[in-house]
Amino acid sequence: MEDYKFLFKIVLVGNAGVGKTCLVRRFTQGLFPPGQGATIGVDFMIKTVEVEGEKIKLQIWDTAGQERFRSITQSYYRSAHALILVYDISCQPTFDCLPDWLREIQEYANSKVLKILVGNKTDRDDREIPTQIGEEFAKQHDMYFLETSAKEAENVERLFYEIAAELIGQARSKDGSSAAAAAAAQRQSEGSGSIGLGSFSAKAAQSNCCGGSSSSNTNPNTSQAG
Amino acid sequence: MSDDLPEEFDLIVVGTGFTESCIAAAASRIGKTVLHIDANEYYGDAWSSFNLEAFNCLLEQPNFTLRNGSYIWHGPESKEENEEMEIVSWTRETLLEKSRRFSLDLSPRVAYSDGELVKLLIKSNICRYAEFRAVDHVCILSNDELVSVPCSRSDVFNTKMLTMVEKRMLMKFLTACNDYKEEDELSFRGRTFLEYLQAQRVTDKIGTCVMQAIAMCDANTSFEVGMQRTNRFLGSLGRYGNTPFLFPMYGSGELPQCFCRLCAVFGGVYCLKRSLDGITQAEQSNELLVSSAGKTLRAKQVVCAPAQLPASLARHYGELKPHISRGLFIAASPLGNEELNKGGGGVILLRLLAEEGAREACLLQLAHYSGTCPEGLYIFHLTTPAISEDPSADLAAFTAQLFQANAPQILYSAYFTLTAQTIPKTSTAMPICCTAAPTYELDYDAAIANARDIFDKLYGEAEEFLPRAPDPEEIVVEGEDPSALREHSLPEDLRAQLQQMDIAE
Repeated sequence: MEDYKFLFKIVLVGNAGVGKTCLVRRFTQGLFPPGQGATIGVDFMIKTVEVEGEKIKLQIWDTAGQERFRSITQSYYRSAHALILVYDISCQPTFDCLPDWLREIQEYANSKVLKILVGNKTDRDDREIPTQIGEEFAKQHDMYFLETSAKEAENVERLFYEIAAELIGQARSKDGSSAAAAAAAQRQSEGSGSIGLGSFSAKAAQSNCCGGSSSSNTNPNTSQAG
Repeated sequence: MSDDLPEEFDLIVVGTGFTESCIAAAASRIGKTVLHIDANEYYGDAWSSFNLEAFNCLLEQPNFTLRNGSYIWHGPESKEENEEMEIVSWTRETLLEKSRRFSLDLSPRVAYSDGELVKLLIKSNICRYAEFRAVDHVCILSNDELVSVPCSRSDVFNTKMLTMVEKRMLMKFLTACNDYKEEDELSFRGRTFLEYLQAQRVTDKIGTCVMQAIAMCDANTSFEVGMQRTNRFLGSLGRYGNTPFLFPMYGSGELPQCFCRLCAVFGGVYCLKRSLDGITQAEQSNELLVSSAGKTLRAKQVVCAPAQLPASLARHYGELKPHISRGLFIAASPLGNEELNKGGGGVILLRLLAEEGAREACLLQLAHYSGTCPEGLYIFHLTTPAISEDPSADLAAFTAQLFQANAPQILYSAYFTLTAQTIPKTSTAMPICCTAAPTYELDYDAAIANARDIFDKLYGEAEEFLPRAPDPEEIVVEGEDPSALREHSLPEDLRAQLQQMDIAE
């Protein structure tokens, strides 16, 4: 078993072409593939970071192209700890669509999800959205704000590290207040945790019937930030 | 980036229900270009789930899939009306305020832990998009009381419903079923499972447990089928939870979306709010010309949910008939005693019979841990094969058994009918494949078999149906040194692709 304290799920949304995939790949692989098309087969990327002496595993999910015709599945938003809403600072329409995205986020995502607004492509010299406008929009809608360039690797590390730090903070404050209550609830109702099949598949294949093994949360490392 | 839809596809799939989504994912997974559309603005079609407000809207506006919809509020409208009463925790207002916390299924299902669905999800790696919750109890009705059927060895010995003698009897019976091989018990071949059970001289109580909850049989079920079902139940024990069943977190409507996600990850194009308006055969090729939203698209094959067929084709399929009668109730208290609903648990499965076993219904109780309703509330899903256009009349025999003796505090009740067409064996005159509407079943076996059949018909049995998708760590990224890749860890088909690339170079 890999050694990490927390696993956080981060999802990206925003119009097609604003650089969501580039941000993920810059951060997880240190790459910036220019003019790339849709990446077939890439689902989410994983990177382990160390923040405040803790090993944190970030699972970063991309839209798989479903944003192109505004057809992202609801399940994409489920159990996300943080949500990065991206626009292109050199493309006004991508900024104008933000309210539509917020409506969708409000509808489907956990109301307590950590939201970050990101203006990407600061390397471009044909900026259409001044920093201040982005900042104000973020403030209005209770989001963190950052401008990045996936191409120049500007603020990309910072974006994900800050998310990790914020999520740890949230998880810890929750640990302190309600861990006991949560554990009690867990004890009372055996198997109250949700089950991911993948992590159990190897075990399931081995176990025989009438094994009567007890159930438990299969993701002990997943911390709910919300 | 252009938002224009490409005009040519290997496969166009219409409808995002479970079966269609399965086919779309399977085709995309073997490298076919797929366009997946749905006339609705949501995923899932007849397999979808809705928040409370959206669900009410759906009931008010009948469509091809759903009709005879109605709903009633039983609680007070708002707090003001009930000032005299001391505690009014739930009102119509407070329920609607929390509308988004509900995930109300049109076609709720459970999955056997070792059943077809779970095996398919694990084999294809689609399981990474899904979360499940173990069903807490499988119940039977005994003297109007909900009683939990002991599932595990320790359950059997701890249960208060059976005497010591009965406990030994049940264990002996289940062990015998578990050890059963086809060459054994030749004497019961061609007879019923009930006859076999009676020959074992079990008590009535054990007989009910086995027939109702474990083997889920009726008096006419053959010995072989009953044995098969018993072993499916036993084989799914001890894997994830206390019972052999799992329920998808946030509702069964999540599952089609998991398959759609896989399809998209492998290049499938998704477009909701887009219908199939017409379809014709291209003159000089085998291609199909599909008109949708004023555009003509070309496809080698088309798969369509019957409810989303254009009117010109739908008439070939006969009229829509009532197929499944559904009841959905929201209550402030659960069915069964406290023991069954400990600590916010209380996902309960119960098979009900009426008219001396001639009719059956399935009850699924959900609690907030399933992610389908706010804390403190319970959802009861009732499902039975339709026998009329009146879902509440169809279900009356079952609601009477459930709600009369120990009535839970019901706040809202809704009824509707899911329809289906009588689909003839696809004739050669029809250029497209139609999927089947959701049938009355507990798990997804029939739907998966339907998807697999259509997939085999389209691409031949040589193509694997949903092979394992690679984990993110295994993906080759352009510009990376391919030798750094651990080739042995790749799934077969990707390794083969990689080798072909090497040869081409």
